[in-house]
Amino acid sequence: MKFLGKIWSRLYIAIAIVFFVAPLLSMARFAFQRIPMISLGKDNLFKRWTIDGLLTTLRDPEFLHSLSVSLKVAFFTVLVILFLMVPTTLWVHLSAPRWRGVVETVTILPYVVPPIALVVGVSGTYRSIAPWFLASNYSLVPFYAILAMPFTFRSLDVGIKALDLRTLVDAAKSLGASSGRVMWNILLPNLRTSLINAAFLTFTVVLGEFTIASLLLKRTLPMYMAQAQGSEPQGALGLGLLILVLTTILFTLVSIIRKKDSTSINVKNINVGMVP
Amino acid sequence: MSALEFVNVSKSFRDVNALSNFTIALEQGELVSLLGPSGCGKTTALRIAAGFETADTGAILLGSTNIISLPAHQRRMGMVFQSYSLFPHLNIRDNVAFGLKVRGVPGDARKKRAEEMLDLVRLSDLGHRMPHQISGGQQQRVALARALATEPHVLLLDEPLSALDAKIRVEVRDEIRRLNRDLGVTTMFVTHDQDEAMSISDRICVMNNGVIEQTGSPRDVYNNPATSFVAHFVGSINSLPRGNTRVLIRPENLVLATHDESAHWRGTITDTTFVGAFTKISLVLDNDNSSVSVLAISTQIDNNIAIGKSIGINEATR
Repeated sequence: MKFLGKIWSRLYIAIAIVFFVAPLLSMARFAFQRIPMISLGKDNLFKRWTIDGLLTTLRDPEFLHSLSVSLKVAFFTVLVILFLMVPTTLWVHLSAPRWRGVVETVTILPYVVPPIALVVGVSGTYRSIAPWFLASNYSLVPFYAILAMPFTFRSLDVGIKALDLRTLVDAAKSLGASSGRVMWNILLPNLRTSLINAAFLTFTVVLGEFTIASLLLKRTLPMYMAQAQGSEPQGALGLGLLILVLTTILFTLVSIIRKKDSTSINVKNINVGMVP
Repeated sequence: MSALEFVNVSKSFRDVNALSNFTIALEQGELVSLLGPSGCGKTTALRIAAGFETADTGAILLGSTNIISLPAHQRRMGMVFQSYSLFPHLNIRDNVAFGLKVRGVPGDARKKRAEEMLDLVRLSDLGHRMPHQISGGQQQRVALARALATEPHVLLLDEPLSALDAKIRVEVRDEIRRLNRDLGVTTMFVTHDQDEAMSISDRICVMNNGVIEQTGSPRDVYNNPATSFVAHFVGSINSLPRGNTRVLIRPENLVLATHDESAHWRGTITDTTFVGAFTKISLVLDNDNSSVSVLAISTQIDNNIAIGKSIGINEATR
């Protein structure tokens, strides 16, 4: 039985690898082999590899422009969402635990309201009262902040739950720290992992978002890639692969940081029991 | 002039009176325990003193200054919590130095003072460790050092021993008493454990339902309880019939009757517990159905002491 089990588990892993790796390999062959797609086969697996297509795309000023738009929008979205969600989540935990359910429900709104409804509703309103708002690339920021709410709230919520927040705040105050000081010197350092997680997830959401950008006609990276698939398909797919590799590396880095943090902050040792 | 004084402090949460006209004065250097069951208001009183809760009415005097409207971070109260509450991201020395850093003490002086304080709680070799790398008892001693580093007006301790093992609890308890004596720091100690309160306090303030039942020395509270609640909460006590009334007698003040005919009360043994220095005998009175505990010294125990046997008891002559 044990032997059979081992075989099964190996088989599952093999299937999973084929499932995930096969499309990536096909993508790589299409993007980086200068052979017409119709004649790609197992005989020419190692022939005529080149990154020319990718390089052409990377040199395209359109690409650089869309990348810079996406990065700027992502950066400001991270700022906005942290600025909104950090105080809200702390407030819910410290002073208004009864409101936690409400806040949580509000944060999952982007799952309930489809992006198309959101854009149509918001743009309809702004076109009549402040048309300049939708003209700017940064009009994407509030939309993306809404999309990032669920990840951000959950990430912060989990981080805060692992701390004995009330007591840490009280301890710091009794030692003479003002509210601002408590925030900077106690809360933010202890929520570092949550903040990094939240920021990173927000960043990836923004870099991958297509629907809203397309509805609002903004030249973001996903928009560029969708368009380039028509004009320069090899380059566009190569770019897709490159982004995949880069995000994987980033994810690994984040999880390394997370591991380091979770060994330095041992949740088990934080006693939350209180006898009034 | 008292070091810390509560004057008619009241506080209610919604409809519940957590504290009613709470009035007590702590002398300089005194260690006073607030003792009572869960929800008796002891922690509320402490949190009001620390500035974490606002009182509905009343005054808190520090010397002659009323600090009732001062925010927590300006009160200079040292506080230690049940749950250690060391800052997880700072090492032990930085934890102790935190209050000094906040007050703008320069780096070198801060470090020196932190080392001194760690020395005082005998943990000077652990300064570089992180909080999760030391034991609960050590964490609580660091919390004490941290609270004392800024030379607070009053040290407030909120059930500081409750999360510790029995043996460590006694060690940290003695440490608290020693620091209180050596530094002469006025200390308010909240606990629900009467043994803890008895062994550490100059005075005990027994509380129930938001009011003070009795304030006095441990000896006083134990030997001359002011109310039935105090008698029952501090130590164990038996309620025995005498004529038409009932008397309250502690188990150690009851003795087994040597001659059956001279026994004041008679009963049937329901349980015996050997504790070493003495044996605790539980019995149910014959005419009264009330259960009674007697502490008998082992020399008094003979073959008649067994479950189901009938024995007589008397009040010990003091």
